[in-house]
Amino acid sequence: MDKNMLAGLEGLPEEDKIRMSAMIDHLQLRDSLRMYNSLVERCFNDCVDNFTRKTLQKQEETCVMRCAEKFLKHSMRVGLRFAELNSQAATQD
Amino acid sequence: MAANNTPAGINKEQAFGMAETEMEYRVELFNRLTQTCFNKCVDKRYKESELNMGENTCIDRCVSKYWQVNGIIGQMLNAGGQPPM
Repeated sequence: MDKNMLAGLEGLPEEDKIRMSAMIDHLQLRDSLRMYNSLVERCFNDCVDNFTRKTLQKQEETCVMRCAEKFLKHSMRVGLRFAELNSQAATQD
Repeated sequence: MAANNTPAGINKEQAFGMAETEMEYRVELFNRLTQTCFNKCVDKRYKESELNMGENTCIDRCVSKYWQVNGIIGQMLNAGGQPPM
C-alpha cells in the first residue's frame, strides 16, 4: 500500500516529499496499531469463551495463533487485490 | 474521490490537507474491506493457519465485488452533489 502512495511523489520539491513521507509514515504507524488492537479483539472473541481458569488453555492458545496467522495472510491477499484494483482504476482516469 | 473542481488558486496547505484526507480515506476503505471479507469468507473455527482454496477464491471475489459497490456508491454521491466532508 505504501509503494503506491510513494509513486506519486516523484515530481515534488524536496520539502514536500519529506512532508508527504512523514504523513505516510504517521498513517502507517497509526494503522499498524489499530490493526494490532482489532486483531487481538477478533481472536479473543472467536477463540475464548471459557472463564473457569484465568490462564489460556492449550486449544485456546492454538486457536489464537491460527486466527492471527489466518487474518494476516488474508490481509496480505486483500492487499494484493486492492493494489491491482487501484492501479486499474488509476489507468482508467 | 479526488476533487477536480477546486479553484485555480488552491494553496499548498489545502493541497496537503486534501492529500491527507484522501490517504486516510484509502486506509479506512482497505481496513473495512479487509474486515468485511474476512467475516464473510473465513471459517471462524480456525482448523488450520492456512487459507484454503475456497477461502482464497471467496476473498478475491469479495474484494472485487466490494470494490464495485464502492464505485457505485461513489458515482451516486457524486451525481447528487458534493459528498459531505
